[in-house]
Amino acid sequence: MASIRVENVEKTFGRFKALNGVSLEVRDQEFVVLLGPSGCGKTTLLRIIAGLEQADKGRVWIGDRDVTLLPPRARRIAMVFQNYAVFPHLTVYENIAFGLRMQKVSPEKLKANVERAAALMHIENLLGRYPAQLSGGQRQRVAVARALAVEPEVLLMDEPLSNLDALLRLEMRAELKRLLAESRTTTLYVTHDQVEAMSLADRIAVMNAGAIVQYDTPMRVYQEPASVFVGGFIGSPPMNFLRLRVEGQRVRLGSLDLEPPAEVGAEVLLGVRPEDLEVYPAEQPQSFAAQVLVVEPLGPHLLLTLNFAGQAFKATVPPDFPAAAGQTLWLRPQPSRLRWLEPGSGRAFATG
Amino acid sequence: MRTERYLPYALIAPSVLFLLFFFAWPLLEALLLSVRGGGGGWTLENFQRMAADLYFKDALKYTLLLALVVVPLQVVLALGMAMLLGGLSRGRDLFLYVWTIPLGISDLAAGIVWLAIFTERGYLNSLLQALGLIEQPQLWLSYETPWMIFLAVVAAEVWRATAIVFVILVAGLQLIPKEYSEAAEVFGATPWQRFWRVTLPLLKPSLQVALILRTILALEVFAVVVALGGRNLPVLAGEAYYWYNAYQNPGVAAAYAVVVLGISVLATLVYLRLMRPRQEEAA
Ligand SMILES: Nc1ncnc2c1ncn2[C@@H]1O[C@H](COP(=O)(O)OP(=O)(O)OP(=O)(O)O)[C@@H](O)[C@H]1O
Ligand SMILES: [Mg+2]
Repeated sequence: MASIRVENVEKTFGRFKALNGVSLEVRDQEFVVLLGPSGCGKTTLLRIIAGLEQADKGRVWIGDRDVTLLPPRARRIAMVFQNYAVFPHLTVYENIAFGLRMQKVSPEKLKANVERAAALMHIENLLGRYPAQLSGGQRQRVAVARALAVEPEVLLMDEPLSNLDALLRLEMRAELKRLLAESRTTTLYVTHDQVEAMSLADRIAVMNAGAIVQYDTPMRVYQEPASVFVGGFIGSPPMNFLRLRVEGQRVRLGSLDLEPPAEVGAEVLLGVRPEDLEVYPAEQPQSFAAQVLVVEPLGPHLLLTLNFAGQAFKATVPPDFPAAAGQTLWLRPQPSRLRWLEPGSGRAFATG
Repeated sequence: MRTERYLPYALIAPSVLFLLFFFAWPLLEALLLSVRGGGGGWTLENFQRMAADLYFKDALKYTLLLALVVVPLQVVLALGMAMLLGGLSRGRDLFLYVWTIPLGISDLAAGIVWLAIFTERGYLNSLLQALGLIEQPQLWLSYETPWMIFLAVVAAEVWRATAIVFVILVAGLQLIPKEYSEAAEVFGATPWQRFWRVTLPLLKPSLQVALILRTILALEVFAVVVALGGRNLPVLAGEAYYWYNAYQNPGVAAAYAVVVLGISVLATLVYLRLMRPRQEEAA
């Protein structure tokens, strides 16, 4: 049993409020990804869970122990630091072995664990080297191997793959996922990379400005963002938001007649993902017209930037779609994929 | 292109000339002085006279013993102080300044301060008398008790010159990013293990500097000893002084100086070798 529970944690640095009442529960054996823009407090939250930073307020539980006041070494966790913190005076082998030496495991187990962790991160040929002789990405993999070697129940990882090339990252991602599922490790994983987040997570916690703004499965975070921030932060290109007038509890969009949630005001934001817009060169029933501003060929598809009533938005079409700037196209959103949001607060209306 | 190549050399030239003139040349002179006889030929006469002198053996013994006792004591104390300072979040600067006050005192003055404590009518005797522990003022620093003088010199040297080691180590500790200690802590290291396995190895370059500096200075110990014991506790630098001044024999004085130099060089080489950073470690 090694769940993580964070209750109402607040943290202030000087006058700057880095964490603003964060609550988060990671279930036993769950893989949770913390996703958020730079400076939103991800590392701070991780350090508080690890015990390297003391929260001003709130409590932290690991398993059924209240660890709020325990020092890091009593919390029985492993961590991959954002800046690696690989010991410069120890070889790669000794770095990976560090946690095991502290636990005084038998020499056979130590050797086996170190070699397994090194093989997993593809650094088995670097075991005799010192960190100064490694590239940034290799050092980062040493940091990950050091955390994996101790076979922790709770693993905290702060952007552990950020410095690897795209191919290696893809491979490591898959291996980490397999390994951590196999070893049933409870994992809290920080990343900037939303694709990584989507692919790894059982649940994603999206953070912004020191608070968790949405905590849900990857698909729901993607399809049903809780706010304009989440919709705009996740997805590339991000979700479109069209500001529309509400007249008599209806919203008209070209020949489309939509019914917004009952509690809307005079205006409403309609959120729709670029890939959820069907695009036609000729007029269609249940569609709206827009002018093409820019056509960007991206390989698997074309990315169109269009203008509707002075608002720019994006849509994706197959690469052979005949589109040119200045042209008028007709768009029909998939009705089940529409998201209504409140223009003032940016929050989504509850879907009925 | 041309000027850029020669500019660095031009810039370091003045300091090199300065050092050559004021250090290398006198050094060479002293070396020559020690191996030149009255007639002008090469000779080991000065060294033979030095070695045959009554005081030579004791001077060598006490100089080495002082360095052997004082330097480790200072390093351990300074390391402890530096670690304590690192644990402070407030008032750090205040402690730093107080602990480095002795740096501002000359060694002769330091010797006199401790003389005021240990002398016959000094603070120590007054205190002991006031407490009723002794009847008569005790003679602490006499030629009959060289070990007392030795201890007084150790005390004075530790008091006076620990601060320089301390300053070097504090600077060295500040250079070690705290993330290493944090990583060690997360992976289960106790504070003691963190100190031995992480902090101390990473502090090695600073320790090396402090050890070399302090050992060389300890081998040159002079003013404190003169103030506290005169010639009752002979040391090498002191003997050089007496031979030069009292006996008017620069040759033997130079021989003493060469011995001090030789031991210093040897000690430095030993430190460099023992604490050699492995090439691969250099970041
Ligand atoms: N020790 C500190 N002193 C003062 N401010 C701090 C300190 N540590 C973090 N902060 C501030 O707290 C905020 C959150 O920092 P944190 O490192 O948690 O961000 P992050 O989400 O991990 O960002 P990134 O993705 O860039 O790593 C930042 O604005 C940062 O400037
Ligand atoms: Mg961070």
